[in-house]
Order: sequence, then C-alpha cells, then structure tokens
Amino acid sequence: MLTLDRNLLHRFGLLLVILFVGLALSLLTDTFLSVANFTNVARQISINGILAVGVTFVLLTGGVDLSLGSVVALSGVACATFAHPGDHSVFVPIAVGLLTGAACGLVNGTLVTLGGVAPFIVTLGMMTIARGLALIFSGGRPVADMSNELTALAGDLFGIPIPMLCFAGVAAAAWFFLSNFRLGRHIYAVGGNENAARAAGVPVEQVKLFAYGLCGLLAGLAGVVLAARITTGQPNAGQAYELDAIAAVVIGGTSLAGGVGTITGTLLGVLLIGVINNGLDLQGVSSYYQAVIKGVIIVGAVWLDRRQARS
Amino acid sequence: MRLTPRKAVSALLAVCALALSLTCVSGCKKAEARKEGEIHIGFSSRDLSAEYTAKMSEAIVAYAKTKPGVKLVMVDAQSDVQKQFSQVENFIAQKVDAIILNPCELEASTPAVDRAKAAGIPLVLVNQVTKSAGDSYIGSNDFDAGRIAMEAIAKKLNGQGGVLMLHGIMGTSAQLQREAGAREIFAKYPGLKLVDHQTASWDRAKAMALTENWIQAHKGKFSAIFAHNDEMAMGALLALERAGLKKDVTVIGIDAIAQALTAVKEGRLDATVFQDAVGQGKGSVDAAILLAKKQPCPKETLIPFQLITRDNLSQFLK
Repeated sequence: MLTLDRNLLHRFGLLLVILFVGLALSLLTDTFLSVANFTNVARQISINGILAVGVTFVLLTGGVDLSLGSVVALSGVACATFAHPGDHSVFVPIAVGLLTGAACGLVNGTLVTLGGVAPFIVTLGMMTIARGLALIFSGGRPVADMSNELTALAGDLFGIPIPMLCFAGVAAAAWFFLSNFRLGRHIYAVGGNENAARAAGVPVEQVKLFAYGLCGLLAGLAGVVLAARITTGQPNAGQAYELDAIAAVVIGGTSLAGGVGTITGTLLGVLLIGVINNGLDLQGVSSYYQAVIKGVIIVGAVWLDRRQARS
Repeated sequence: MRLTPRKAVSALLAVCALALSLTCVSGCKKAEARKEGEIHIGFSSRDLSAEYTAKMSEAIVAYAKTKPGVKLVMVDAQSDVQKQFSQVENFIAQKVDAIILNPCELEASTPAVDRAKAAGIPLVLVNQVTKSAGDSYIGSNDFDAGRIAMEAIAKKLNGQGGVLMLHGIMGTSAQLQREAGAREIFAKYPGLKLVDHQTASWDRAKAMALTENWIQAHKGKFSAIFAHNDEMAMGALLALERAGLKKDVTVIGIDAIAQALTAVKEGRLDATVFQDAVGQGKGSVDAAILLAKKQPCPKETLIPFQLITRDNLSQFLK
C-alpha cells in the first residue's frame, strides 16, 4: 500500500510539472493549445515513446541499454532494404525490421546473462557494432525508394497518426503485462534483489533475456516507424536516441538501480520531453538556448518529483 | 560439457580472433616495399556516412586508381576531430608523399594541418577549409551556395514573402557560409522576411519535426523554406506534403543528392544546388600528385555551384 501511495505522488508531481509547462506554453503562444498541434506532438513523441517503454523493462531489471539509437538505425536500414516497391509484401520489411531489433536485443541479453559482462559494456559494444553493421549493409548511403504501403505506416488512421497508435498499443500491452503477468512481477523481483529472487525460484537469466529481447524488438519497431516517417533507411539516424529514452524513463520515476518504476510514469516522462521540444520550437527559441532550457526542465522535474515523493 | 560464463566468453573471444585472422589473410596485405618513383598519398575523409562526402571520397579513390604509379590509402574520420588528427599523424609516420585532408572542422582540425606542415609533407584541403591554409585548397565557396539558393527563392516569390531557414550543425564552415550567403540576399530584397530559423543538424528526421512545429506556429506566414542541405530539405518537404501545404511553399536545398534530384524530377522539390563532388575529388588528387612531384600547383581551385531546377535537370541525371 505504501509503495502505491508513493507512486501516486510520483505521478502527481510529474503531472503538475507537465501541466505547468503546458499552461506556460499555451499562454505564450496561441498555437500550442490546438488539436492540430496535439496530433503533431503525438506524432513526434511516438518513436521516443516506443523506445522508452522497451528500455523501462531493462532498467527495471537493474540493467541499461545504450544501443537503442544504433539498433533503430540498423533496423531501419534492414527494413528499407526489403521495402522497395513490388519486391515483397509490406509485411516482409516490417518483420525484417522487428527481427533485426529483437536479434540485437537477444545478443545483448545473452552476453549479460551467460557471459556475465556488465550491461553497460555489452550494450556499449552493441551500440558501435549495430551502427557499423548499418553502415556496411547500406554502403554508407541512405536506403531510399520505399514502397507507399510501408511509408503509409507514418500516415493517419481515422485522423490519428499510426505511429501514435503503435506507441499507445505498445504502452497498453506493456502496462497490462507488467501488472498482470507472473513474468511481469518477476522483472520487478530481479531488479529489486537478484539473489532473493533467485532463492525464491525466479529464473533470473530467462527474465533478463526476455527484458533485453523485448527492448530490442521495440527498438526494431521504432526503426521501422522512423524509416516510414522519413521514407528512407538512414544508417546515421537515431544518434543519441537512447539518451532521450532513458531520460524519459528516469523522469517517470523508474530507478536506475532497478526494481522500481511504472509504465504510466514512463508515459508522462515521454510526454514532458515531447512537449518541451515542441513548445520551444513554437516559441522560436534559439537552438543554443533550447538545449539549456531542456536540460534545466528535465533535472528540475526529477528534483521536484523526488522531493515530493519523500515528503 | 556445462557452459560456464567464463568458458562462453573465452569461446566467443576465440571465434572473434579466428574471424579477425581470416579477414586478415584475405584483406590486409603486408606493407609492401616501396617501389622507386611511386607516389603514396594518404586521404582522410570527414565522414563516409554522409552522402555527399561518400560520393566525393569514392571519386578520389577511383580517380587515383587511374593514375599510374600512385597509391592512395583512404581512412574515415567519422566526424571525429581527434580521430582525424591521429590519422594524419599516422600518415606522417608512414612518410607519405602527400596528404589529402577533408577536414572535420574549421578550428579544431587546424593542428593536424600544422603538424603535416612541420613534417614537410604537402597537404591538400578538399571541400572544407581550416584556419591554417594547406598547400592547396580544392572546393566550392559555400557562400555562393547560400546566395544561389536564396536568390532562386527571391525570384520565385517575386521578392515578397516569409521564409524559414533550416541550419546545418551550428558553427561548421558550411553552415556559417551558407547562412551568410543567404543573409546577403535578404538584405538585397527588403520584401523578404526571415520568419524563423533554427538548426536541424543536417538531419532529415529533425528537420521534419521542426517543420511540423513551424507549420503550427507560422501557418500562412511563410511561402518558402531554405534548407542548408538536401537531407533537411527532404524532411521539410515530407512535413509540408503531409500537411497538404506543399503547393503554397517553395523548398530549396543544397548538395544535389540522388533523392533530391528525383524529387526535383517529380516536381516535388523546387530546386537544389549542385556541388560537384566528383570535380572536387579529382581536383584534389591532381593537386596532391603535383605537390608530391614538387611541381607548381595553384593555391586555390574553386569549383562553381549550379542551381538545378526541372528545366536543366537532364544534364545532371546519369
């Protein structure tokens, strides 16, 4: 019961920050508070959102995944390679992109569990390996000429951006999974106290492998969505995407030490980062100041949030 | 046999070592003894993952192969100033006859140029300049590119209207000069208004998100977008098309990458500015050979930019 209350406070604290930022932006610009702009924000946060949900699982087990951005690029390139018009059905490139991501995630997971190498090192290695593979497979050039069926993935369905639907679906499934499935509870147990979990009969290795695999799969999905959005597979895309994703998760109250965190928190973190990026552009704030303001709001949000959670 | 973590790791390392030695058998030859009269050139490319640079670098390698007695080695600095500095130092240690440098940065790549100078090895700068001049510079004046693109926008809008500008990575010589060139045109046409300008770091996805936000903020207040490169122009184009606004907005980029040319052909992109990658590449090899043979070589060779629209496109499509 105690943990539930703390989580509630967490969420309220963060919600207040988002409402405050939103209020400030709607007072400062007359365009922020409009349906068109909300669709816009939704479209832009989808990719970071999908990545953040995936990396929440890894962070919950007490690990980290630094390879996200590179895996996004590799999956995007792999997807675009199979997406030339008339080559294959639209499901082939999507499957190739997802499987590429999942494969990277499973390699990460295997090395962390079976190899016993620290997650930071394993995923740092994967970060450069995946980037290198993306450059090799694409010959260093963007892979263009994608079929309309695939790029339609970045379009709308009943007026709602499809990337947003993907993000919402992924988040809902992850939330349901973590709260209702035994494997979901195992993920918290492994991150909370690995030895205790092992003693209680939790298959620690399998749980971790699952978390990294799922994180990779979602990075693959993000890669497919990004390729559809920019209509190319770019080997140099996704630079530093892992930082925005991890920032969103941590803002959302997930502990870097593992065992504590929620999907709803991650959603709020993603929303905050998205609203800041969008709002600063609408305001016409210079690029130099944008970087500083963004950093201050992120650190400030976490500080306020933790302070409130303690009191 | 039970697979312990330690065994798994050693097995993995063994496989890696084996793979490495196998690639070495096929790939890396031992440094051959240098033949009399042979010219060795070291070339450090800024970043092979950037389409324009890749095209220019390929031209350099291909053109050097056609020159008898010339051996050229290319390395990729991956936009890392520090890495490029070590590459130049390695070339100096190998006592190459000339170095072709495609610098990462205006200021930070300068020490590498000075080091080569101190070692007495001739150095050709290609595509970008550094603070210290090399023995020869082959490139195009980015100032002109900005001017040509903005002039085309001014003509299209009859000198009246709002313009948005997408910057490259702030502080790179291409970004600074392309902006300065564009600003000169703004000064010339008082009816042109710079509604907003912001960096999208040469990146398509960033340019697309930024343009989407601009459409919210400035809808109806702008009728042209000038992007410092084609990748960003393509991002802006996709955002405008999705919002159904392309017909009201002129979009022009720089570089003439393959996708931009296709987009011009299809009537989606209004124009791009052609920078002659192959011409720059060939020029730099010629200069390096002249300098290695201690023959006179011009200090600066400028390859002009050209505006590509639907009307003159056929000359550039191969």
